[in-house]
Parts: sequence; structure tokens; C-alpha cells
Amino acid sequence: MLSETNSPARIPVEERLFSLVLALLATETGLTKNEILSTVQGYRQRYAAGGDNSALERQFERDKDDIRELGVPLETVAPPGDTGNNQNLRYRIPKGSYDLPPDIRFSPEEMTLLSLAAAAWKEGSLSAESRRAIMKLRSLGVETDDPLVGYAPRLRAREAAFEPLSIALERKTIVTFSYLKPGETAARLRSVAPLALVQHQGRWHLQGIDQDAQEPRTFLLSRIVDAVRATTNTFEAPGGDYAARALDELERIWEGNVARVSVQPGTDAAVRLGKRYGTDRSSGTDPNEPLTVHYSDLNILADELASFGPEVLVHSPEKVRDAVTTRLRRAVADHRDEADQHEQEGRDA
Amino acid sequence: MPENASPMRAQDKLTFLLALVPFLLDHERVSVAETAEHFGVDQEQIREAVRLIAVSGVPGDTSQYLHGDLFDIAWDDFEDNDRIAITNRVAIDDSPRFSAREAAALIAGLQYLSALPENADHAAIGSLMAKLTHGASASPSQVAVAGTQTDESLRTIRAAVGSGTRVEFGYLNSRGEQERRRVDPLRIESIDDDWYLRGWCHLRRAVRTFRLDRMTELVATPEPISYRPSDVSLPDTLFEPSDDDLTVSVAVAESAIGLIVDYIPDGARRRRQGGIVHTQVRVAHYHGLKRLVCRHSGVLTVTAPPQARAIVAEWAGAGLARYGDDA
Repeated sequence: MLSETNSPARIPVEERLFSLVLALLATETGLTKNEILSTVQGYRQRYAAGGDNSALERQFERDKDDIRELGVPLETVAPPGDTGNNQNLRYRIPKGSYDLPPDIRFSPEEMTLLSLAAAAWKEGSLSAESRRAIMKLRSLGVETDDPLVGYAPRLRAREAAFEPLSIALERKTIVTFSYLKPGETAARLRSVAPLALVQHQGRWHLQGIDQDAQEPRTFLLSRIVDAVRATTNTFEAPGGDYAARALDELERIWEGNVARVSVQPGTDAAVRLGKRYGTDRSSGTDPNEPLTVHYSDLNILADELASFGPEVLVHSPEKVRDAVTTRLRRAVADHRDEADQHEQEGRDA
Repeated sequence: MPENASPMRAQDKLTFLLALVPFLLDHERVSVAETAEHFGVDQEQIREAVRLIAVSGVPGDTSQYLHGDLFDIAWDDFEDNDRIAITNRVAIDDSPRFSAREAAALIAGLQYLSALPENADHAAIGSLMAKLTHGASASPSQVAVAGTQTDESLRTIRAAVGSGTRVEFGYLNSRGEQERRRVDPLRIESIDDDWYLRGWCHLRRAVRTFRLDRMTELVATPEPISYRPSDVSLPDTLFEPSDDDLTVSVAVAESAIGLIVDYIPDGARRRRQGGIVHTQVRVAHYHGLKRLVCRHSGVLTVTAPPQARAIVAEWAGAGLARYGDDA
């Protein structure tokens, strides 16, 4: 977070950050913290020679984090043979790792696609990152084709847990959160090393190592019932494409879980379940033949099937059937009134 | 064409400065207007940034920010002609790398877009992702989106949008009745896994939103559309409220309010009471309401009017009856 203490010579935050980046890029050997605070624009105005600069030092620490978050490789170098003395650390930004490699260039077609990819995050948690990535792409000067007219795809990461988890993922910090497992009435506190965030069938999942079980687990973000807290513990993740593995696993679960469901022809249930990913009619022609419906989460499927009311009849498995009837029974109980004889006014189909 | 009105935060402003400098170095005497257009920001934002760049630099050998240690621009050209020419540059000349999260956001976005028919060339998307990874200052974070499964209907509608021709399909109306719709397709939209067509419906004589997975017997016709995207305004929200909508009172578990937030009308009162929120939801018809409530059975209850409660109870009861269970 950027904050500014009151100061007579107030330099805008972006000017201080910009000046810091320029100064650290221009130095070969690096600058010490003291050199930075006493000479760089935005700090030097507030520097007290020989006095207490602790507030300014804290400001510098926050600025470093903010700059690194933008992908600027701000390095700390300890002088050879001199370790441990914080005052002698030098800071710099090596130009070679700052500059976008010269072979990374994009065609107008690619720019169009990237702009649309960024626009998909318009209201999502990664919208600020997408916006900044697009600024960097535009600095390359490539004119985009017409945007893909006629499309407005959107990714939504509405769960409050997404943002803190995505940050923990990046910083490799262990997080804790309360997780309500389906079928349980009380949430349990979990401690997890986050490895990947993946969206499968429209739902966000966290893949991570459960610290109590010391085993990989997949969590549905919508079942995290309180705030995600980052701990001060970090972890080492051996390399690997965790996201791809998590998606493969969810896909395997989806394929493996099958419910057999009869649908009334011509209804909303028949149309939508018929078009659902992976759905199959066992025989192919008979409209009364039950559908084979795949799912990754029993409760999510049961919610959907319950919404179809009498349009569906679940044959198997037993647990899906039970979950659906439990929901319907509850809905009846919650909505049945004592004298249940209200006149139908003909608005209902 | 400013595309986001939200004010830039300091990190965004810094990124903008770092992005603007290499662009200006590559474009000698570029106009403020052209630069604003290219970056999609206000012209005044460009002028402000240029003024800041022009007085910025490095402390230099003297630590005094002497003239040669600062950027400089052709001031007269800037003030008189609104053109930008950098005459002295300091420290940077190339575009910065992406951060791990920036690269991850674009990569996940690309994965999502790979469902679009024109992106059937997965090799091209793959090479683009590789470039983003290589252009990031650290390995992109592990964020991924499974390519959504879309059927032939998306391809058909996409082609119709492109050629400006009408489509026809069967669709269940909000009362659950099957109707044949003739629609001028204007825009394909999606939210996560759900795909929609916005178009001019000739039956309703209005812009309507259709779920792709509710369409049946979709046919592309050769008839040209009579309403073009420029003729009608497409609001940002997917579902337009209509005067015929029904508003009912509900009690919803506080933890589940996010699940129905799309249905709560703007300005509806929310009264909290012991983990329960009393508010309202707006639906096109009871046909949709009873489904919504049964989907969220246990956490969402209609409290009024009694007729709405009865319809929900009847729907759930009919569903239960199929199991020979009288509850």
C-alpha cells in the first residue's frame, strides 16, 4: 500500500517511484539505502541528514514491494565479503532483466487476441494486472486490428477468497481458512500451501498441500466460509505445472462421476442437461431413455437437478437421488403455509 | 477512446510512465491525440505524463539532477503543436517485462478464449502463451481456466454475427413455453461457463439475451439482419429489467447472498437478522423463480407474496412426487 506522510515538499507517489526505477536502472554497482534516501527525487526532499529517517526507510521498503509487484526485477546485492550489515546492501535493477527480450514481439492479430484476453478480466480479480499488461503491450507500438467485434467474454472470480489466494500463490505463503465440507455442518480450519487456482466447469478451485494431512487437496472456493489469512510461513514448491495437473484431475473426476437421469421431453431440463458437457444418451434415439450426466461435485449437481423440479427423475447413484429429494423436501417445508389454498391467478404456466 | 474511467492508482501510473517512454522514443514527434488513442486514455493524461517524464531523470554524478541527467522534450513543439518529441533520454529505452501475475492473467484469459471458434488453432494460442511466459520477470503464477466446451451452436452464431445474417431457433420463454425465435445476432457474451447471444428478437421487437444451451434446432438463414449493433444500445448488464418483472420478498442466508446477487434489484433494502438477510429478488416470471429457489433450497426462502410461496411449494412437491415420496 502506498501512503504518504505529510511533508512540505510533496512529490507525487508516481514521480517518486518513477525516479527510483530510473536511478536503480542507471547504476551498475547499485546504490545503498542511504544513497537512495538522500539523493533520489521524492525521498531526498524528506531526508534528514544525520537525523532519524525511519519513516522514510519504511516508505522505501513499501516502494520496493510495489515496484517488484509490477515485474520490475529490483535486486539486492551484498558487497563481497561483507554479509550481515544491512546498511551496506546495494540495490539495483539490471537492465538485461528489466527489458522485455527483443524476440518477444507481437503481431496485430496476436495483439487483438491479447486485448480480448485482458478484457475477459474486466470485472475479475486480475483486472488490474490485465490492464497493466495491456499498457506494456501497447508500449511496443503495435496497432491492433479491429477488436473481435461481436464478442464480450468475461471471466468472473467473484469469490472473496480468489484475491488473497492468488497473492499467496505468488508469494508462496501458507494460508489458513475455514472450509465447509459438503455434508458437514461446521466449517473446519485448514492450513494449506497453495499451488494453483483453476477454473473448471465455471467454478474456481484451489489446489494445494493440506498442512495437517501433508497431502494434496482440492478446495472449492465457494466453500471457503471466512477470510483467507496469509501466515508468515513460506514454502518451497518443487517445479511443475500444478494448474494443468489440477485440471486433469478435475476432468478425471468429472468423467468418473455419472448420474442417470430421466428428463421430460421438451422441458428446460431436457434441453439444458442434453447440452451439458459430456452428457450422453445411452441408446441415442429414444427420448425417454435416461441421460448420462457427468459431475465433479455431488452437491452442485444436486442443486441444479433440484431446480428442475418434476422435469427430472434421478435413478442413480443413490447419493445424488437422496441429495435431490432432501433439497425438494426442504423447499416444500420452507414454503408450505398453514392454509395452503391460495388462488392461482393464471400467471403461472 | 478512453476505455476505463476508473482513476489510475500509483502503480498503474508508474506502469503507464514506463510503457509510454519506449513508445515515444520509437515514435518521433507523435501527436498527443494519436498517443491517447493508442493507449486508450484521455489526452490530458498523456500531457500530464509527458510533463512528468520531461522533468524526471537520475541523480547523476553530482546527485543534483543536472540538466543532462534528465529527460527532455521539444517543449515548443509540445506546447504549440501538441506533439511529443523526446530530445534527451535517461536510463530506459525498452518496454518492461510482465510481472508473474500479469502474464498469468493474460495466459488464463487466452485459455478461456480458446473455446472461441476462430481460436481453433491451438498451436497459435500455445505459442502466444510461451511468449508471455518468456516475457515475464518470473514464472507466471499457476492460474488456469479449462477451455469451456462449446457446441456447434457457437460456431453457427459466430458465423452469422460475422456475415450479418439472421438466425432462427427454438427457445423456451420465461413461462416455459416453446417458441420459435427469429433473431438478428449482435453480440456473443459469456460469463465463465455460460454462453449467451444478445440480439434483436423479431418476436418481442426488442433486444433480448438468450442462453446458448437453451436453444434448440438452431438454423442460420441467408436473410440479412435489419438491426445492426450500431442501431441499438447494448447495456453492460446481461439482463435488462422489464416492467413485467416480478419482485418478491426473500430471506437468504448471509453466506449465500453472493449466489443470488444478480437477482437483487439495485436499491433493494437488505435487512440483516441473525445470519439471515431479508431482501428482494426480481425475476421475469414465477417459472424462473421456482427454479431459482429450489436450486438454493435451504438457504433461500420466499417470504411473500403467498402466491409465490405456493408456487415454489407446488414445484418442489411435484418434483418430490416423482419419487413416490409424499414428504
